[in-house]
Amino acid sequence: MRLILKLIIIFIFSTSVLALEKGETEITTEDGIEVFQNEKYYLLKKNVKILSDTFSLNADLVKIDFDKSLYDIVELNAEGNVDFISPEFKLNGNGEKLRFEVNIEKLKVEGIKSELITEDIEMFSDGYIEVNNINGNFSLIGPNSKLINETILIKGNSIKGIFSSKEDQKEVIFLDVFDDKISYVKNNDTEMFAKKIIFNNEISLIELIDDVTIIRDGEKITGNYGTLDTKNNSYKIKSNDKTKVKVIIQNNE
Amino acid sequence: MIIFSKRLSMINLEISDSKINIPNADISKPKFTINNETKKIYVTANKGNFLNNNEILLKDNVRFKSNEFSIETEKVIFNRDNQTAQSKTKSLFKSKNTTISSDGFDIFDSGDRIVFYGKSFVILK
Repeated sequence: MRLILKLIIIFIFSTSVLALEKGETEITTEDGIEVFQNEKYYLLKKNVKILSDTFSLNADLVKIDFDKSLYDIVELNAEGNVDFISPEFKLNGNGEKLRFEVNIEKLKVEGIKSELITEDIEMFSDGYIEVNNINGNFSLIGPNSKLINETILIKGNSIKGIFSSKEDQKEVIFLDVFDDKISYVKNNDTEMFAKKIIFNNEISLIELIDDVTIIRDGEKITGNYGTLDTKNNSYKIKSNDKTKVKVIIQNNE
Repeated sequence: MIIFSKRLSMINLEISDSKINIPNADISKPKFTINNETKKIYVTANKGNFLNNNEILLKDNVRFKSNEFSIETEKVIFNRDNQTAQSKTKSLFKSKNTTISSDGFDIFDSGDRIVFYGKSFVILK
């Protein structure tokens, strides 16, 4: 029964995709469209489905700003149960709101349980996730912000960074993480806590500022400032005058 | 043969008709022009009936056409006073690389704002 259901779904999806000519975008709405010619935007209302040969998007309400004519899309704003998928760009996500600025290739997903998943990186936030595809800048701002890739896990209220411009892989080359409670980075076998964490791939350095804790191999070291060299996996912790570096060696046996 | 010849008092709205008589129609082949600051919209149909002083029911092959777009449908109530139009019949909007089909439409603000009703379908090329 499940197999039949799957086959039906695949068939419906396939015929819908096949109905589109290359480069065409098909939009359906349940409650109509409002076109504002002077203001150059249109509203797509209720249960909106957008399907093109490179992506699909579903939302409750979509506002599209255009330039010369309706097809000439400048910006897309979607609200309510937004989800999207782009097999071509190996990208999918969801959130309460989405904004895509076409010319500058800037994508923002906003709201509780926002997600943006690419082939290499997964991003989550209860605030917003913003990615600029042209310059590689990205931000995750708000509670429960989290970025995961194959080698690193980052948590913090504010995660700002830059992806490399390599086409084949979206590698993180710079990171600035801040959380006034505590930020968290896990890299290979090392867990790092600090209010502010900065990673610079060019000099292979992770810098930890304020309320620093590094945990590795059962060893827990705390201080005020620390650095981790990602090339040789070595770290240093410093303390200011009033406090001292504290080492706790845990016996896990 | 009844010949209707009406000239509306509004400055930016013109109405004319041909001399062909169609039964049950107050106006045959009516033509209107809606002007706003930026564009002219030509409105044509096969038949027209006056509903009251301001409203005209346009029927059969009703078409709104400007330099930017056209809309085709079967029935439209056109208000010559405030220059609005309302249709509850299947409508097809066409502009460059865009088509919209809907269950009807409203035109407000001299054509600057168009609302398409019901389940609507858009193709962008």
